[in-house]
Amino acid sequence: MSTNKKTETGTPLASRRAFFRGTAAGAAIGLLGMMAGYSHSSLRDKHFPRAQTARKDIGLVRGVKVTNISETSWFENGTLMGDIRGAGGLLVNQYTYNWAPFSTKGGKLASGSYEDGIRPIKSLIPGNLEKAWDYQMENAVHPENAGGFAALVEIETMEGETKRILLDSGWSYDWMDKAFQREGIDRMLANHEIDMLVLSHEHFDHFWGLPVTYKYDPTIETHIPEGFYKEGLQYIADSGHRGKLVTHAAGLHQIMPGVASYTFPVPIICRVYGEQSLYVNVAGAGLVSITGCCHQGIIQFAETALKEVAFEKFHGLYGGLHISPFDDWDPKYDDLVYALKEYGFEKVGCNHCTGEVTARKFVAAGYPVVRGSARNGSKTDVYLGNGDTIEFRAA
Amino acid sequence: MSTQPLERYGEGYLEERTLVPRWPAPLPQIVNLIVVTALFYATWWIFQDPRGLMRLYTPYVGYNYTRWLLIMLIWMVYIFNYWPFKRVWLETAHPVLKGVVLTGISVALLLLVIKGFFEYLLGNFAIAYFNPDQLAKLDRVTEFFAEEYSALAILMFAAIASWLSPSWVVAMERAPWKNEGQPVQGLTILLITFFLSTIVYFMTMHSHMAILYYPWQEFTGITPPYWETFADTVSGNFHISWIMCCTVVVWLVETIWERYPFKLITHDWTRRLATFFGIIAIAWACHLFLYFAQDLWWGEAVRGTRRDFAPDWRWLHVGEMMIFWLLPALALTFYFNNWPTKLESPIARVVIRTLVTVVGAAVIYWLYYNFSHLVLGTQKGYSHPQQFPMIPTIWYINILLINHWFMDNYPGWKLVPSKAAERAARATAEAKATTQDPGTPAPAE
Repeated sequence: MSTNKKTETGTPLASRRAFFRGTAAGAAIGLLGMMAGYSHSSLRDKHFPRAQTARKDIGLVRGVKVTNISETSWFENGTLMGDIRGAGGLLVNQYTYNWAPFSTKGGKLASGSYEDGIRPIKSLIPGNLEKAWDYQMENAVHPENAGGFAALVEIETMEGETKRILLDSGWSYDWMDKAFQREGIDRMLANHEIDMLVLSHEHFDHFWGLPVTYKYDPTIETHIPEGFYKEGLQYIADSGHRGKLVTHAAGLHQIMPGVASYTFPVPIICRVYGEQSLYVNVAGAGLVSITGCCHQGIIQFAETALKEVAFEKFHGLYGGLHISPFDDWDPKYDDLVYALKEYGFEKVGCNHCTGEVTARKFVAAGYPVVRGSARNGSKTDVYLGNGDTIEFRAA
Repeated sequence: MSTQPLERYGEGYLEERTLVPRWPAPLPQIVNLIVVTALFYATWWIFQDPRGLMRLYTPYVGYNYTRWLLIMLIWMVYIFNYWPFKRVWLETAHPVLKGVVLTGISVALLLLVIKGFFEYLLGNFAIAYFNPDQLAKLDRVTEFFAEEYSALAILMFAAIASWLSPSWVVAMERAPWKNEGQPVQGLTILLITFFLSTIVYFMTMHSHMAILYYPWQEFTGITPPYWETFADTVSGNFHISWIMCCTVVVWLVETIWERYPFKLITHDWTRRLATFFGIIAIAWACHLFLYFAQDLWWGEAVRGTRRDFAPDWRWLHVGEMMIFWLLPALALTFYFNNWPTKLESPIARVVIRTLVTVVGAAVIYWLYYNFSHLVLGTQKGYSHPQQFPMIPTIWYINILLINHWFMDNYPGWKLVPSKAAERAARATAEAKATTQDPGTPAPAE
């Protein structure tokens, strides 16, 4: 069938249609090309004005000292990852692993629940942690691999007072209780010398040792980030807490002069959501970032400070920086190693989920990493290890 | 000289088959979408869901199988034209039987490729990172991450092949082997696209893999890679982005764009090359623009950070957004007869379909990020190393393809046997009769 009909003006219909189709196609492809070109030309910059946002003045402190109570959250990566792999991967609900302290009788991997796990120990916490942990040693999946993360943050206020924050409460009742006793945390808690417990997030290695804190001070004011699941909230109650519970919504929250927490609504492995970290503004030195795991990313934390907190310059870092916690690696972590130097941190104390490979790359890149003593279970001196301290104040 | 009809296997089968809806619209569409969604959910629970039975969503292990299943479907249908299954079987066997048999074969083949070719052959005799057991021998690499890294390397091959394999059919029109019979044609296209995939793999992903190990394997891969400055990351996600865009654009051209605008070119080789490179050009436009769009929406990416602001995730998310677009485009073509079809103007048809599918993609995007962690057990939130919307989306696409390619849209539609099938069936019957009576000549086609 011929399609070469003519219109009244004598123009071949097919060629006119072809012309319009060709024009439309060319225009569409040209538009796409322009979009692509515009996207990566200097013209894009006008969409991102460098406007100064209102930055909150959180005040100042004279100095801050951090004592690493324990950074050893677990002892063998292979054992931990073997459990995670066996249970079905990194998204499986942490309360179902049958890990201590939520083990059922003869607990099998990935077949537990909070309700079944808390039942055998509910009457034992926080008063009889030894018996509660003995039960775990008999029944839980790899209880010997549990350690925990906790740090004591001591703030010297501008008035010369000392305020204390306990950051996290670890995992193993046994390991954490001994670590608390080693660093004198037990006495400070019992004497109410620690002003608050700040739980960075709901992960097992930061949170499940909670009864150890409440054993010594069940009334301590406890701060959690928004995002705890119902099991986590129930565990706070089941652990015997009788004090004030403060939940921080996403964003900045001043908790004392010169100190603020920031909650990031970030998804985290093992079905956890949300993490808070601390900003401490040290007079004459600059801003210090103190983190539990820093799942939001240390550069995100620094960028957030640049947008929302008034401070002179970055000064220090302490904590788990969550880069290669299982000594896994990804090229994007190298992006971090490259990019961190832009922020000019003057003193870095890293450990825990930072990853030993990362710490070594930091040292190789020339970062001012404060080395530790590699004792009390810490495996490397590129980490600020268990029992080590780091202080941030003006020279 | 034989007078037997030439066996065409599945050549032209998808275009020539007549699918008749069993009920008035929109019942077949609703029924099929419910059946496909139910199959998706059941299989997701069995194989992938972190709360389910096999929990392959680690995520890379499950992602690897998902990707390779897609490739097997494409190879079996688009490259091999269903060979060695005969046309008469394709046209007369029950759709459920076809679905089970052909899917079973695709699974067997993917296991052969993953376990046999990559893990055993390449992983033991060429490059260690294809084999988890070899990787686990490295200091610090746990078994879990050995499996993950190995799966990542293998699945990247599939990602590249899922662009190049259908491209050779859609864009290059099987040339220059179009007139070859099966399996010669299929094997040739398989070899050429696999060869091209290998080159693209080494130029886009090998450096990424080399960076995974400490210290960098700088004598085996170019590190830092050449894209670092432009992409603002050393991660291979920069390439995953444009490769995913290519994969999706191939299917958009094939389905809702009816191969416009490239089909307007009448010279064969000009059209083929214009289509092949035009797909890449459109994909790169999407690749660059969607990254920019994220900067506009969330704020500029910051190198070295994690999650939503990380450049490597932004590139990956470009691919994720594109795959969300593919799902409604395929559903529109398979179950809604590529609506609208009655408009005379192809421009109007293409524009309307594009707009409809973009809206569909936006709806799926919203649904995924609000409900997937509850329904599918995936990670909550936009950006996370364990958040891979490509896995469930491609898993769903695989089920759609199985339903459309293998099962003739059963149960909403039924296949009306073609005259050729009737003749072939008759010929088979007569051939059987001939075996009993060797003196009788075979019927001529």
